[in-house]
Amino acid sequence: MNSLDRLIKEKLQREIQAKTRRHFIKDCVTGMGGLALGSFFMSCNSFLGNNEKAKIKLTERDINPLASMAPPLPPKVKSVIYLHMAGAPSQLEMFDYKPTLHKLNNQPCPQSLLEGKKFAFIRGVPKLLGPQAEFKQHGESGNWVSNFLPHFSKVVDEVAFLKAVNTDQFNHGPAQLLMHTGSPRLGRPSIGSWVTYGLGSENQNLPGFVVLTSGGKTPDAGKSVWGSGFLPSVYQGVQCRSKGDPVLYIDDPKGITRNLKKSTIDAINNINKKEFNQYSDPEILARINQYEMAYRMQTAVPEVMNINNEPEHIKEMYGVEPGKESFANNCLLARKLIEDGVRYVQLFDWGWDSHGTAHDTALNLGFRNKCTQIDRPISALLLDLKQRGLLEETLVVWGGEFGRTPMQENREGQENAFKGRDHHGDAFTMWMAGGGIKKGASWGLTDEIGFSALEGQVSVHDVHATMMHLMGFDHEQFTFDFQGRPFRLTDVEGHVIHEILA
Amino acid sequence: MEVIQQLIGRLHTVVVHLPIGFIIAGLLLQWYDRKNNEWSKIIGLIFQWGFIFATVACVSGYLLYKSEGYSFDTVKFHLWLGIVTALFSLLMYLRLVAPFKIDFRERLPLVLLSFSLLFLISFTGHLGGNITHGSDYLIEPLPSSIKTVLGIGPEVYEMPTLDEDHWEEAVLYTDLVQPILNNRCVSCHNAKKEKGELQLEEENGILKGGEDGEVIEPNDPENSALYARMILPLEHEDHMPPKDKTQPSIEEIEIIKTWIANKNSFDKSLGELGLKKELFYSFFPKKKDDTYPDVTVAEVSADTIAAIKKNGFHVEKISEESNFIKVSCINKPSFADGDFDLLSSVKNQIVYLDLGETQITDAIFEKITSLPNLTVLKMDNTGITGKNIIALEKLGYLKNLNLMGTKFEEPYIADLKGFKKLQKVYLLNTPITKPDQINRPKEGEVFFDYGGYELPKIATDSIIY
Repeated sequence: MNSLDRLIKEKLQREIQAKTRRHFIKDCVTGMGGLALGSFFMSCNSFLGNNEKAKIKLTERDINPLASMAPPLPPKVKSVIYLHMAGAPSQLEMFDYKPTLHKLNNQPCPQSLLEGKKFAFIRGVPKLLGPQAEFKQHGESGNWVSNFLPHFSKVVDEVAFLKAVNTDQFNHGPAQLLMHTGSPRLGRPSIGSWVTYGLGSENQNLPGFVVLTSGGKTPDAGKSVWGSGFLPSVYQGVQCRSKGDPVLYIDDPKGITRNLKKSTIDAINNINKKEFNQYSDPEILARINQYEMAYRMQTAVPEVMNINNEPEHIKEMYGVEPGKESFANNCLLARKLIEDGVRYVQLFDWGWDSHGTAHDTALNLGFRNKCTQIDRPISALLLDLKQRGLLEETLVVWGGEFGRTPMQENREGQENAFKGRDHHGDAFTMWMAGGGIKKGASWGLTDEIGFSALEGQVSVHDVHATMMHLMGFDHEQFTFDFQGRPFRLTDVEGHVIHEILA
Repeated sequence: MEVIQQLIGRLHTVVVHLPIGFIIAGLLLQWYDRKNNEWSKIIGLIFQWGFIFATVACVSGYLLYKSEGYSFDTVKFHLWLGIVTALFSLLMYLRLVAPFKIDFRERLPLVLLSFSLLFLISFTGHLGGNITHGSDYLIEPLPSSIKTVLGIGPEVYEMPTLDEDHWEEAVLYTDLVQPILNNRCVSCHNAKKEKGELQLEEENGILKGGEDGEVIEPNDPENSALYARMILPLEHEDHMPPKDKTQPSIEEIEIIKTWIANKNSFDKSLGELGLKKELFYSFFPKKKDDTYPDVTVAEVSADTIAAIKKNGFHVEKISEESNFIKVSCINKPSFADGDFDLLSSVKNQIVYLDLGETQITDAIFEKITSLPNLTVLKMDNTGITGKNIIALEKLGYLKNLNLMGTKFEEPYIADLKGFKKLQKVYLLNTPITKPDQINRPKEGEVFFDYGGYELPKIATDSIIY
């Protein structure tokens, strides 16, 4: 056996030695030529090229990548509004009521809880911090909501809580990526991209996936949280600004009339059509379509992004501040976009990272203000969708990228000046509302201080699987081939959370 | 040595075809030569070869049986008949061209020998085929109707299912574990084949284990071969079931794990073991989606859909597995009553119709009655007043009606109350006044959503901490 191995080894070595630079260059030339030839054959049908009557079989998707498609399974909803509180809000001041934690306030945290855990800032032995809000049960469901969210407590029966969501990431960027792409590393498509890729867009004049941000900053993970990863880039989220032009440079430049613009685009498209007749490359048709869609969007986007025409009582209900960048404005915009057939609306609100290092990040001060800022808009959004008959065909998801510790943060071993909590992903709260969701449900239970899950722990992948299920996908079947293997949003994990489904 | 044995054994499937070929060739030559009797020397030689290779086949076959874990019961007839075939080839050879003098050779009737050999070679070959391909290999491609006539029903493996209401009463072993083993393992590990000397058909076989010892270590799934080999990488040599066989689902593997982790009890129910319902979701029968009518309609051809799309409608199937379609005028605000006829080719399939923000009038109702399966109807932000809406009563499946932002008039509300399946009506921004008290609708009653929800201002709204 040994001699055989030696023989094989020698053969391989000889082969390598026999390769010279000349061979390499020669191989490269033929290789490149082959590639070029391949693309000629793949994309252009030169046999049909000069025959205008010849028809090649094109799917609707070849011409319009956003053409709508039927979901594989019966869907419960046709669109999604995802409300992400960037920075991770404290579940212990909003939904997860822990009276025992109140009693243990200021007690040192038991060592057993700290062993083997990683925290972003907590060092040594921190002290437990009781809930900074007062809780009450609300609605017929009797679910707990704190007094930081007085309006939301009136609509609590519309939503289903997940009280023990688990993430293995404890820093904002990776955790946000995991929350929106299913992986803490860069490179995967976001949920909105998957959905738009799978279902397309109903409205021909608007993008299928729109992103709106508020709170002064964009999420830590950057634009990758609405990126398309390895999916074609046409499926990435389109970020619209709620202040100023919704999309930069969407207005025609000075001196260019709408008609002139139209004739310019017509001229370009005519040239492209000639090109298509010659080469029959479907990419050209897609390009023609994109030009036309961009032209239509120039009027459609500013129209849908304008909240000034909404009646006064609606503006009041949401608490909008026209002309400013605000979460309330974005909630109203989300409703308008969904009403106009946009598939996936992603809202990010920045400023929830309540460490307690300053006034802004103190649980009883800045955090409470953040709660007030979202309380009315979110409640209004749910009611507004409901009265328009949209809530039953829309899925609303609320959450952060992780939760927060029951302990008060002691940055570098020193107690912080204000009351705050560190990052904690073992068990935090999210909620969903809308079509296919069991109203008033609550799934998952945390221990007496809200540190870890006792029952009904669900992962971020489970949340994704459930969202996909409601949109009419089997998350295990919905894949895209990339780098030699099929990829899916939940990769190798995820179970549909049946407990919150109607 | 064992390797060589195994290697020679595996050559059996190749070698067997040689004696088959020679013997059949010999028999054919005998048939052609039956009048002239000129080729008996050559024919004898061919049977000699037949005998030699039949012997080789017997030896290799025996080694195959030894090394591959077939039970003797499975192979015995094939083995014996193979030996008999070899012997008969020898006899035939001696009968035709014996190199030395034997007394009885003239006395053997040639025809009897030939027919025996023909029978032997076909039947032995058939038995061999049954062992490698399974006894139903030959008849499998027959249409099932013929199979039923022949009395051989198709073997259909179905995922075990549990009754969702009484799931706790199901016995873990009988209702889940054994059916999973039956589906995924028993085709090799049965009393007949017994690969690796392992039988997984019933309790005793499972407990007995295989050639490497017991396959279950109670309460320790990781150290139980039955489970541990299932979770090995697919490429791993020891992975079970083998790579080319259908693999159990994650949920099925999880059941095996749970079973072993709970002392591999053969009689305890799921409830007695205190197992969580989450484990069993995939074994509950899938709930039927009852959003749309339970009627069958013909599939709409892609051409028809394309033609309707060309007219500016948004048309899509409800889902890939449904023939129902959804039609929306989201990109066709110019839609007017007259355009309705463009949809007549798909009238049975439309279950969701969105005519919101179009130019329709009260005349549309009569037309809409031609859509027998319509379930969701949106007419929001249009000029309809509700006159004639009573016509829609004919629609037996209409559940959801959106009249938001229309000029719908109060008197016609009463018309809607009689609709059979109607559940929800949206009336936001209509001239209808919202009643002071809205009662929760009783079972089977229509819920009128007047909208106009409010979030009154409260003191804390303006406090900034």
